Amino acid sequence: MKAFKLENEPKIETGFKTPENYFENFSVSLLEKLPQNEPKTISLFARNRKTFIAAAAVLVIALTVPIVNKYVTKSKELDEATLETYLSYQSNLIQYDLIHELDTNDIKNLDKNIALGDDTIEDLLSSNANIEHLILE
Amino acid sequence: MSDYQKPLYNHIRNIVLDHDDAHDVLQNTFVKVFRYLNKFKGDSKLFSWIYRIATNEALTFLNQKAKLSGITSEALQNKTIDNLQADTYFDGNEIQLKLQKAIVTLPEKQQLVFKMKYFEELKYEEIAEILGTSVGALKASYHHAVKKIEAYLTSN
Repeated sequence: MKAFKLENEPKIETGFKTPENYFENFSVSLLEKLPQNEPKTISLFARNRKTFIAAAAVLVIALTVPIVNKYVTKSKELDEATLETYLSYQSNLIQYDLIHELDTNDIKNLDKNIALGDDTIEDLLSSNANIEHLILE
Repeated sequence: MSDYQKPLYNHIRNIVLDHDDAHDVLQNTFVKVFRYLNKFKGDSKLFSWIYRIATNEALTFLNQKAKLSGITSEALQNKTIDNLQADTYFDGNEIQLKLQKAIVTLPEKQQLVFKMKYFEELKYEEIAEILGTSVGALKASYHHAVKKIEAYLTSN
């Protein structure tokens, strides 16, 4: 039997064939199968993220300021400066109002704190033009 | 794409043997090529990279088809070869059919090397880059493949 030698024989082809115009039509069918470049869906939040964050920050601050202000000013203790300013601007506040608010202890304290001598009182009264009016009161 | 279309089809068809299967695998190959083209680093030639994808796709396809049929890849290939004469898209003569039958008797690696060298006439360097093996190993594989095929054709 003669040994078969591939190199001594004419090249043997595969014998495969394709449908008519297969390669011409292949590109069309492939393009249909290829994933289309769909436009990316960007959410409204993602697109205007910075604007949203800025608006949220402003909103938080706007809501926080009155709340903080409320708690800060909640203190009932009035400082002396505020009280003096209030009294000096209240022109309709008469001495009776002040006297009415003072009790015996307050007057004693005033005597202690404001230690006026008799001479000082006499000088003050003599230099006051309304001395008669004050005596009457 | 048109440059690669025909040689890639032939490469895939030589592995999967059936036209419809080759069509599916070729489509999948191009889809993968387009999808991962931006990840192609250029370490190898574009040609080798695409051929490697096609080879892997074809072999994976064969394995999956065999698994679905509940038979081995070798059994599937034998079955396909037995039906080759009735295939509409095969018009080979007696010696062509015998050669196809001889090829399926080879181990997978030798089959690949023989088909790429003998039918597709790729250079050893190109095959080495596609399959990731040395030229020396490829030459040895091809030599063994040729000897087995010649023995098969002599006795049949």
